[in-house]
Amino acid sequence: MIEYDSVTKFFGVGKNAVTANDNVTFEIKQGETAVFLGPSGCGKTTLLRMTNRLESISSGNIRVAEKNIMDVNPQKLRLSMGYVIQQIGLFPNKTIADNVAVVPKMLKWNKEKIKDRTDELLHLVKLDPKIYRDRYPVELSGGQQQRVGVARGLAADPEILLMDEPFGAIDPINRNQIQDEFLKLQAKLKKTIAFVSHDIHEAIKMADKIAIFKDGKLVQFDTPEVILMRPANKFVSDFVGADRALKVLGLLKIRDAINPHPKNIVQAESNAEETLKMMEEQGLKFAIVLKGDKVLGHVTPKLLKYEQGKLKDLAESFPEELGTREPLRDALSAMLLHDVMNFPVMDDDGKFAGTISYKNIQKAILELYADDHDE
Amino acid sequence: MDLLTFLDQNLSRTFFLLWEHVWLVALSLVIAMCIGVPLGVLITKKKELAQKVLGGANIIMTVPSIALFGLMLPVLALVGHGLGKVPAVIALVLYSLLPIIRNTYIAIKNVDPALVDAGKGMGMTKWQLLREVEIPLAVPVILAGLKTAAVMNIGIAAIAAYVGAGGLGVFIQQGIARSHEAMILTGALGVSLLAVFVDLGMSSLERLLTPKGLKI
Repeated sequence: MIEYDSVTKFFGVGKNAVTANDNVTFEIKQGETAVFLGPSGCGKTTLLRMTNRLESISSGNIRVAEKNIMDVNPQKLRLSMGYVIQQIGLFPNKTIADNVAVVPKMLKWNKEKIKDRTDELLHLVKLDPKIYRDRYPVELSGGQQQRVGVARGLAADPEILLMDEPFGAIDPINRNQIQDEFLKLQAKLKKTIAFVSHDIHEAIKMADKIAIFKDGKLVQFDTPEVILMRPANKFVSDFVGADRALKVLGLLKIRDAINPHPKNIVQAESNAEETLKMMEEQGLKFAIVLKGDKVLGHVTPKLLKYEQGKLKDLAESFPEELGTREPLRDALSAMLLHDVMNFPVMDDDGKFAGTISYKNIQKAILELYADDHDE
Repeated sequence: MDLLTFLDQNLSRTFFLLWEHVWLVALSLVIAMCIGVPLGVLITKKKELAQKVLGGANIIMTVPSIALFGLMLPVLALVGHGLGKVPAVIALVLYSLLPIIRNTYIAIKNVDPALVDAGKGMGMTKWQLLREVEIPLAVPVILAGLKTAAVMNIGIAAIAAYVGAGGLGVFIQQGIARSHEAMILTGALGVSLLAVFVDLGMSSLERLLTPKGLKI
């Protein structure tokens, strides 16, 4: 846990003093990733650098694991936290293994343990130790170097990881990939992470909580959903962008909007005439054909008219399969692309879990808004 | 063929003077390195000192060598060392300081600030950072400074013969006094060849000591 308590930072003195952080108070809970977000010069990096005492604190307190960091020797403090920066900063005179081993060596681990840990970490960041262990940083691409940077930050298994725009200098395709991998890693490792970014997309993707800064002040600290749907002021709403409702679609999963008990379900063995009658009575324009818990396709009254026989022979198959874990954005995209208003959703085992429609999506988003009025 | 005859007749003396020359240059280089490298490192950490130290070393460098011997003579005469090897070594040390300090300073200054930030952020002390990162990365440039100083000092040591320091300069000085061409040529060639060999030797040392990761 990292607690920021009225943290203030000035650079310079007297009239020329610049306030980098102004009375910032919030806390990052154990195992959470907090992204410090804001335009350049908003104080996000300074706050991160105060956390491991690379910058001094002008007033206020920072507590890590309930200990005031000013009571801890700066070197010891830093050894207990991973530190990953945008420029990566791998030591060019050391091999990849030696770069990863910097902190364990300072902690005086024995050689055997260091070697095992180095290989384990290189595996973890998807670099084969056999190939990369004895190479030098210049022989690696930018993306590979930052994987090593992340491995180095994790080397002594610190509780806390400080990351200063760690993926900022990597090309977009690699960045996406390394972000995904890091998320998977974090799901296992559950580190407490302070993560500086200026990219709203990255923040939404990586964060459990986002802290938005402007001119050194903390403007809003909340989950990505709330930041997107209920920005605290114009600055935040401008920063997250006019398309923030669309960004929510990337954030929410289909399971957040699914209709688990849809009415428009028909069985594969039913025959066409009966089904048509039933659909007309209930005013259904669209029905999903199931066989057990497998989806066969869909039928419409128009399709069933003048037809006889079983639905399983008549149903039209769906052009795309959607899973509960996919983002709502993908569901909406599928609906627009294929002009289908209602999609079945499969669970992880490929069984029918419910349906999703425009209305379900709209409702899920409105619910996020609605929370606003309850408070 | 005068030259070969001269060499043949004075072989042991030639080698003695060569040895004396090398010894003068090597000793002064070691002393200058012991002063210059730490001083160069120190001024990277103390900005206010940097200008003064580099400026001072620069002034020494601009004083012509023969004038420096002249200037030191009355001072060192007080302790009985106005002539001989002592003023020569002192002068050579003083001349070597600028290239050594300047190259050390520039090399450490040029280490990527991101490396320093990463190192500090991981909990390295200033000393660990110097030992593990800054100095290894600075080695090629520091060695280049030592090479410059060594080659330059081989030339200046030849002039030191005038204050009785010995070395190959003795042949040049005495040869001029006696209009002995072969003698002058032996001294001059000896000094020149020595400079070339030292330059080559130091260059290969530089390659040898450059960290492997910087050579790829």
